Amino acid sequence: MMRFSKFLKVEAEIIVARHALVMDETKSKAEPVIFLHPEFARKSGVKEGDVVEVEASGRVVKLRAKISERAPENGGLIPNGIYASYLTNFDSFKRFRASIEVSEGEPTGVEELLGKIKN
Amino acid sequence: MICPGCSCLCDDVHIKEGKVFNACRRGEGIFSKYKENRAVARVDGREVDADTAIEKAVEILKDSKNPAIYGLDTTVVEAQKLAIDVAEKLNGYIDDNSSFCLGELVEAVLKGEVPTATLDDVRDNAYVLVYWGTNPYHSLSRHMSKYTYYPRGKKRPRGYDEDRFLVVVDVRKSETAVLAKKNAKFIRVDDDAELVDSFIKVIDGRAAKYAKEAGMVINEMKKADFNVIFGGLGLKYGLKDLNKFKEMVKKLNEVAKVYFIPAGFHGNMRGFNETLFERVGYVNRYSFRDGRSDEEFSFTELLKNEKIDTALIIGTDPVYSLPFEVSSKLGKIKTIVVDPRMSFTARIADVVIPSAVSGLEAGGTMVRSDGIRVKLEPLEEREVNDVYILSRIKEGL
Repeated sequence: MMRFSKFLKVEAEIIVARHALVMDETKSKAEPVIFLHPEFARKSGVKEGDVVEVEASGRVVKLRAKISERAPENGGLIPNGIYASYLTNFDSFKRFRASIEVSEGEPTGVEELLGKIKN
Repeated sequence: MICPGCSCLCDDVHIKEGKVFNACRRGEGIFSKYKENRAVARVDGREVDADTAIEKAVEILKDSKNPAIYGLDTTVVEAQKLAIDVAEKLNGYIDDNSSFCLGELVEAVLKGEVPTATLDDVRDNAYVLVYWGTNPYHSLSRHMSKYTYYPRGKKRPRGYDEDRFLVVVDVRKSETAVLAKKNAKFIRVDDDAELVDSFIKVIDGRAAKYAKEAGMVINEMKKADFNVIFGGLGLKYGLKDLNKFKEMVKKLNEVAKVYFIPAGFHGNMRGFNETLFERVGYVNRYSFRDGRSDEEFSFTELLKNEKIDTALIIGTDPVYSLPFEVSSKLGKIKTIVVDPRMSFTARIADVVIPSAVSGLEAGGTMVRSDGIRVKLEPLEEREVNDVYILSRIKEGL
């Protein structure tokens, strides 16, 4: 069944912060995840495990949504790392505005982002 | 053993029958997985031996017109000194993560602009503990249990139940903020500058947006002769002007004894800041060509403005941590990576030189966030470590 939230694009405040539970000390992988506040997720029609498209600074990544009360109430938290780095810039390094919408398919892979740097 | 995972440099980690004891989740990962995803020597994507990779690095650096050295916060002081020698020999730039992390606050401490203390003093004496723009639950997982909130100290025998007062300042209710219940205060801010301004105004007896919160914290601080503020990246990026913050700390010291300690960075970032400061009088973003430090010489600005043609990157992963508008420029210049891991940056580098994990496979000195120097006790010695590689590069030049 088609979900209404698929067509809902919402503005969100994104905080970038260290998150020990998704850090990889071997530097071999990065988890494509965004933690959304439960109230924000409810209003935005996002459920735990959904893939969401996050757009900021004219760039887009797809991340897996997890629900957490530790996220800012009007948005989400993206752990420090290659996904947050792809979306942010130094004018808004740790806190920025983004648009979020439920998407299809799989989260963005690291290789895709590395490819953009190589080129 | 010393855990090199973060600037706490915990000194009580030990390994018995393959199990890691006393480390936090991150530290456990460092000790138990240090043999995973190891860097492989490469030149232009081709596997080579380490000597060939070092020779190629020397050749690239010799040919470079505008080289920069970057990283160094996870390696030892002895390697940092060699890297500064190499930068001087190249007449190039040198910088570390602190230029976009907490370097400015470390500099304020080194210049004596704010009073500071050691974490051991904090454990024994501190009453009010302010965590401002930092969430040690994730970034410095044992900070509160080993040094600040939970332990019982000489002058604080009743621990956090009665002898500590916790203040958390953040834009969200972080895991650390959740702890702020009894003998505690969580101050949710939208703009950190307004809270800084409120502290200053309350001391002057003027009205302010956060007068109630600032007044309460100041009253608690007045009850003790030792209070401390830990400032993290949220504080740095929440404030446009850190001078106001320094002014606030000075002002607080007119009515109570308040120290400042930067919180939340790589294992030896402060080591780099101190080493460069002793050598040239600046903590980061230094140009040997110009004989001074400046914002325009930070690695991120040099890259963004396409001012360099070669980067020697040691023990850090800018592709992982720097904004895309900056890291994407790495693809346009020659990059040499020295790292124990096949990091994201190593995957796109022209030359990869595999090194040892400082603290586990190489000894040396690191400097804790409060300035205490710590000697590392490695599990094993690996010949090709950062000191060896940088010595070879220095000789080759």
